Formats: sequence, C-alpha cells, structure tokens
Amino acid sequence: MPNQIHFSRASEMPDISVSRGDMEWNKTGSWRVQRPFYENKTSPCNEACPAGNDIVNFILKMRQGDFETAWRVIKDENPFPGVCGRVCFHPCESKCNRGHFDEPVAIHALERFVSDFAATLPKKMEKPTAKKREKIAIIGSGPAGMSCAYHLAKLHYGVNVFESFPSAGGILRMGIPSYRLPKDVLERELKEIEALGVEIRTGVSFGEHLRSEDLKEYPAIFIATGAHRSRGVEIPGERGRGVYSGLDFLKKINLRKKVRLGERIAIIGGGNTAIDVARSVRRMGKKVVILYRRSKEEMPAFEEEVTEAIEEGVKIRYLVNPIRIQQKESLKRLECLRMELGEKDESGRRRPVPIPNSNFFMEVDNAIIAAGEEIETSFLPRGIDKKDGIVLTHTGGRTGIEGVFAGGDLASNQRTVAHAIGSGKKAALAIDSYLKGNEVDKVIQLLLIGNGPSVSIFPYLHPGERMRSSHVVAFEELNMDYFEHSARQKGERLRGKACLKGYGEVTSTLIQSAALVESERCFGCGTCNECENCYLFCPDASILKRDETLSHQVDYDFCKGCGICFVECPRGAISLEEEAR
Amino acid sequence: MRRVITGNQAVAYGVILSRVDLISAYPITPQTTIVEELSELIASGRLKTKFLKVESEHSAMAALIGASTGGVRCFTATSSHGLAYMHEMLHWASGARLPIVMVNVNRALGPPWNIWSDQSDSLSQRDTGWVQLYCENNQEVLDTILQAYRIAESVKLPVMVVLDAFVLSHTSEAVEIPTMDEVDKFLPPYCPEYPIDTQEPMAFSVIATPEHFFEFRYKIQKAMEQVPRVAKKVDDEFRSMFGRGYGAIEKYGKEEAEVLLMTSGTVTSTSRIVIQKLMQEGYSVAGIKIKRFRPFPDEEIYEAIKGTKKLAIIDRNLSAGVGGIFCQELRAALYPKETRPQIFGFISGLGGRDITPSLIEEAIQYTLDHDRPKEEILWLGLKR
Repeated sequence: MPNQIHFSRASEMPDISVSRGDMEWNKTGSWRVQRPFYENKTSPCNEACPAGNDIVNFILKMRQGDFETAWRVIKDENPFPGVCGRVCFHPCESKCNRGHFDEPVAIHALERFVSDFAATLPKKMEKPTAKKREKIAIIGSGPAGMSCAYHLAKLHYGVNVFESFPSAGGILRMGIPSYRLPKDVLERELKEIEALGVEIRTGVSFGEHLRSEDLKEYPAIFIATGAHRSRGVEIPGERGRGVYSGLDFLKKINLRKKVRLGERIAIIGGGNTAIDVARSVRRMGKKVVILYRRSKEEMPAFEEEVTEAIEEGVKIRYLVNPIRIQQKESLKRLECLRMELGEKDESGRRRPVPIPNSNFFMEVDNAIIAAGEEIETSFLPRGIDKKDGIVLTHTGGRTGIEGVFAGGDLASNQRTVAHAIGSGKKAALAIDSYLKGNEVDKVIQLLLIGNGPSVSIFPYLHPGERMRSSHVVAFEELNMDYFEHSARQKGERLRGKACLKGYGEVTSTLIQSAALVESERCFGCGTCNECENCYLFCPDASILKRDETLSHQVDYDFCKGCGICFVECPRGAISLEEEAR
Repeated sequence: MRRVITGNQAVAYGVILSRVDLISAYPITPQTTIVEELSELIASGRLKTKFLKVESEHSAMAALIGASTGGVRCFTATSSHGLAYMHEMLHWASGARLPIVMVNVNRALGPPWNIWSDQSDSLSQRDTGWVQLYCENNQEVLDTILQAYRIAESVKLPVMVVLDAFVLSHTSEAVEIPTMDEVDKFLPPYCPEYPIDTQEPMAFSVIATPEHFFEFRYKIQKAMEQVPRVAKKVDDEFRSMFGRGYGAIEKYGKEEAEVLLMTSGTVTSTSRIVIQKLMQEGYSVAGIKIKRFRPFPDEEIYEAIKGTKKLAIIDRNLSAGVGGIFCQELRAALYPKETRPQIFGFISGLGGRDITPSLIEEAIQYTLDHDRPKEEILWLGLKR
C-alpha cells in the first residue's frame, strides 16, 4: 500500500478519509477462483430448424433495423425464406424459450417479413465469380434439389438441375396450394438461385429422357426426386371412375388443369395432403368430408392447417375407415367401418381397430384418396439400397454408389420442406468434401448446430466468424428480470367464407412496425447483443470496451470472478468456469 | 401563503423549498404520504427532482450516501422498522460526514405489531452520529427541515428531523409556507468540500488504520460540539427572516417554578394547556420543551432549571432495563452540576396510547406531592 500519508495531529487531517491514490497495484484478479468469459451459445430455435437457419442472428439484425442483412443471414443457410416463412411447420417456435415466459416468438412471420422486404430491394444476389470446372447434376428441382444447387453454386460449382415437370419447384409448385404459397413467392426465390448460375432443364424425366449413363460426365450427382406416388388404401373400387389420388389432384389444380368434381367429396386420410386437398376443394365450392381412421390426436396434419380447414367448412369424421367404394350410377357408395383405438403401434400412435358390425354407407360424388405418398424407385440406378420405403443414405446423403448422393423426401420419412432444404445443404457439403477428398462425416460433425442433426454452412464458408458453442441455452439460463410480457404479433388472416374466394393467400405478411415489435420479443438466447449489462454491473470495472463498444474481453488482472456479469447477462452469452490453477 | 396541511405535507413543502436534487425512499406507514406527495409531484413534472426507487430503506440511505458524496442535496423519510433497517448506513452517513437530511415519523417497533407513535425508533439510533431534532407542530416541521440543511451542510453531519406518527403526520393544521425566493435567501446551494471530478479521481471513505481512525472519530465529536452554536445562529437568522424560531429548548409557564415538566414532540402541546390551567389554580409550575435531542442541550437546560427543586420528565419511549431515554440523558447532563433537582422519570404513551391532559396533570400532581420518586420508573397511564 504505497504513499500513505502520516499525520501527527487531528487538526492536520481532513474530515473524511479520501485517497487520491489508485488501486492498479492491487491485482485483485489473483483472488479469482472462477473465470467469466464471453461465449456465444446455440439458441434452441437454431438447433431445432431442420433447414439450419441462423434464427437468433437474423432477428438480431432485424432489431437493429437492418432487414437486408437479416435476409442475407437467412440466405446464408436457406435459399427459401419466403417459402419457409409461409409453409414451414416451425419447430423453432415449439422450442422457443419465450414459450416458457408467455408465447413463442412468431419466427415464421419474421422470416416471411424479411423475405418480402428483400423482394422490394433492387439488386440482391451476387453471382459468384471464379467458377470451378466441375459441374454437378441434380435430379429434381424441389426444395432438396434446389437447396443443394444453391449451396453448390455458392461453393463455385456449376450446376445442372433436371426437372421432369414443365416448371421448377417440385412439391413446392405441384403439391402446395397457392393459398398457402403464392406462385410468385416461389418464382422469385427460384430466380435468385438461377441468378447464381444454376441451370434448370425442365421437362426432362429421369429414367425416360435421361438415363444414369448420360450422367457419367458429372463427377457427382444428387438425386432428390421426392415422394410422388400416392399410397393406395387397398380397398375394392379405389381405382374406379371419379376416384382420385390426393397428390395428383393437387398437381392438376396447380397446373390449372380442369378437374371434374361433383358436389359432395369424401377425402380419405389425415395428413397434410388430405387437408390441402380438402381446402382446395372447398375453394371450388364443394362440400367436403375428411374420413380419418384414427382420432384427432393421431392426425399427422399440422394443427394450424386443421383448424383453418375446419374454419373454412371442412368436416372431419374421425375413427371412420372406408372398406369399399361402389359405383352407383354417377354416385360413389362408400362402405365404412367405425373404429376404436387399441394398443400403440410401431409409430407410437394408438392403432385403430374395427368395431365389429359397425358397417355403414355414405353417398358421395367423388372420393379422393390422400393416405400418404411413396417414392418412385423404378428409375434409380442399380446399387442404391432401399429400406423402409426410402433410399438408404449415409451422412450427407451418400449412397452405395460412389459419387451418387440422395436426399429430400426420397431419402427421409421426415417429409417437410425444411427437412428437404436441410438435406440439400448437407448433400452440397458432402459433395464438396467428396470432391476435395475430405472425410464427409468429419466435416458434417463440425458443422452441427447444437447437438444436430441440422447443420450450418456459414462456418464452412467463413471460418472464425459468428462463433458459437454447441451448448443449447435453456430457459433457466436466461435472466427474466430484463424482459416484460408482451403479446405475440399476428398477421391478418382471412376467416371463414372470405377464404374461399379463389386461391389467394389466407394469411398476410406482418407490417413493418409489428415485425419490429415481434423481433423485440426475441430473448436472443446465447447471443450477445451488446446490451452492456455486464459493463454496468461489473464492480471491478473489468469489462473492457474498445472505443465505445464492448470488446468482449475481461480484464483478468482485476476481475475477482464474482460472477455478477454472468448472472446479469439477460441471455446467457457469458459463461463461468472454474479457474485453472 | 397560509395553508391547512398535514405534518407529512409540511415535510414535502420543506423538501421542495430546500431545492433537494435527489429523493430516494421506501414507503412505510406513517411516512408513506410524504413519499407519495413528493413522487406524484415529480411524476407530474411539477417538481424537477430525481426520485430513485429502491427495494429497501437500507438502499435508500445507501443511494443518498452516494449522491451526497457527489455533492447532491438529498432527502429521505422513513419510520420504525425502516429506520432500524437503515442502521448500518446511518453510521456510514455520519462517518463519511455527509449532510443528509432525513425525516423520521416516530412509530413503535414491533412486535407486537404497531403502527402508532412512540420514540423508540429514532432514540435507538442515538449513537449513530446524527443530529436529532424533534418537532411539536406542522409549522415547526416545515421550518426545521429548512434549518436542518443549513446545520447539516455547515457542520458536515447528517440531521434527522422527527415528528409523531398520526398526531402530526396525518393531522392538518394551518401552516405558513414561505416563498421559494425567501428560502433561497436563507438556504444557499450545497457545495461539497471534495467535489467528484473524473479528471482528478478520488476514493472516498477509504480505510483508516488504528493510526488515524481514532482522530476521525474525535473530529465527529468536535463537529457535534459545534452544533449548539451553529444551530443557534441558524435559528436566529431564521427568526429574523421569517419571524419564527425554536431554540434547542423552550421554557414556558412560571419563571421560578417549584415543579418543571419536560416533554418532547406533540406531548408539549398538551402540556402547555395543563401548565396554564394549573398556574391559574395557583400552582408554581412550568414546562420545558426539548427540541434537540442530539447533541443533548446540557447547558441550555441547566440555565433553564436554575432554582427548581423538582423536575418531572415524560418519556414516550423505553430502554428496557433502564427506563426513559430522555430521562437518562437528563440525569447524565445534570450529574456534574453542583446543584441538581430531584428527577421524576415518567413513561407514558407507548405504542401510540394518548397522553391526555389528565395524565399530564397526574404526573405533575405526583411530583408536587412527593419529595422524591417512590420508584425508579413512574408508569403513567399503565393498566397495572
């Protein structure tokens, strides 16, 4: 303790004890037994996104009012924010920590807003320069194929996409009705992929116009032909006149082909296709009843879709199973059995069991069978293994054949747009690793978001940027003292009969002010947003700034390791570890 | 301007007129309406004072300590348990020589739970180095706050202004409210001796080893010893400007009385009526009001009681095991003197029980009738 002044009398002393000395000599850091450090972590939404979107970062950019960068952050991982913002079943929101506080952040609505905002900007995507020689072939222009094409193009590959239909988009165009996904939104995002130099050849059917041998010139092929074959219900009469398959019906509508329908339509099945078909039929002014053999709880369709369908006048009869379709003049006579739920089956759902002698009859004009889809395997090259109705793949979509990769619905039973986009991205990474002679498993392992299985391509392209640990931030790790309850923002939604006029979008994009309010609701789990609580609270002035901004450095000469910064960080972006001695 | 206001409103006027820059307080009955009044004025924008919300009285005082160190004139108010909770910070305020002014509305400490008036809260803080001034009426409350800042900033010690729960805090009386201009002439802005300057950083209240600590305490005692002189000067000046003054004590009644009755707070008002009545009945009685408890006005009292044989004192407090605290202080003050009267120590009105004119008369009568008290503690109005 240097320079203490010694007084010999009280009269010489000041009235209060003051010191003009400093404490720099007292390196209190030596008292420390635990050490705080800045560590961005993984948010549960990021981990839950099958497409691997960097949700927490795009919302952070939104909060800063930089919508264009927010859009680019999504685009780093996913070429389809406008599509996903509309049709994704948003598992991110189910995992959103805000759900433990009031309501989850409306992530899908923010993604949609950002995409629609970016659509108004003049020039957005830069065509990558310095092309590599290799050209990759992609079969199928659905979400998996186009996601793979997009990322390969950004990795400087040439890409040829082959599509059997007259226009690109796969299930996004053929399967999803435009009241959920307007065609112009799809068109615009496909164009952005093409702008990177991706070449799409439509009307080329694999196995027919194009054979495996024709693809020999390509060092790698990605097959993502989806699951387009309607699964039958195997009952007498299902191939009769006026009985359609669900996906075929949707394709016809989306290609604006005429479909002859009577007035009363029965739809068999309980998945998303069944709901899409039912809502489309309602828009044609027909009466619709969905027959589903299990109860509401087992229904695989997304709950929101079911609710909207019911609001639009779709009737659903649960625990009913048609066993025969008879033709009676132009009418169909459906013989049905009533069901009850028995023991759980291999899918974890309770198995429907027929109630004996419960047969009854229904008369309808048409029946549409939407009992699920299967993959088409006839054109697949020999040497590709199949199991449980899908193509068997290893990490990154590798098949049994060297240089041939597969993904999307063809290789997965998790048949969502977001999963398909994620699998396309993984395939792009796998193809790049394969062509560079790197081990695919190792590459993918390093890119997992949290504990996976989704991957992020950003660190692959920009090593050392936006670093974060795989630790997924739990609600208990956040400090709720810094948040106030606020209501989840909702876009406008047409209701009831208003929906049924045409195929216009049912829900609207958030207006800018509502989008900003919603983005403010994000806790930003695990990502420092420079709120400076740590700086304000540190009793040892050991949180260092560079100029006016946080340096994310702790002054360990003086930090006593009290842990206040760790506790007061609202979003778990500071960690505390035992001091190594 | 003359207005009919409660004691707590008088406090608020005193604070506003003193141009306080920071208020930090935590609500507690019967102090609450002071903070309500002030915070509403601040919230409505009519009073340009910072109000700092805190989660406890301990923090309220801690906040004031920081602000006062930074040269800010500041204020808080509390009662009872709130004051007890501040205890550690009360020592800090005086040890750091900060001219903080606080109002304490006298209220008993529980248990048993009680929100009514007695002095056990403020008197339990008598050794914390605070000047303590007790008030008799709402006018005195307002005036004492103005004087308190002058005294505090002059001797660099904190001052506690004390008033009785409900009897003053929630009771309306006519009060003369001086204008801002008049008060500005009486109370200049506060200039700290060591202003905070980021260009010349300093650490405050740093450690003092045994080599120096002793002397710092000696200096506090010396500052306390200046209070009688400073307070008198301030009071004289106040009287010349506003026509009202209070002194450290006030004597009323017969000049050379056989029995003197000493009281503090609102009991004095009641006593004035009783003394007047007894004088009219021919008794040789007089009263003394004690306004300043700390530092205790030894000399002023000794001057006032010369020739008196018997001195009755009513304490609205109890130091269990000893008796009334004013009584102890009085005995200690008179002990060194060659002649001293017989002291009759009464305890009355604990937990807000009314000290009625008949009880006061009973105390005086007892003193007249006895040469010396039969008991060390004389319980007045106790249901034995």
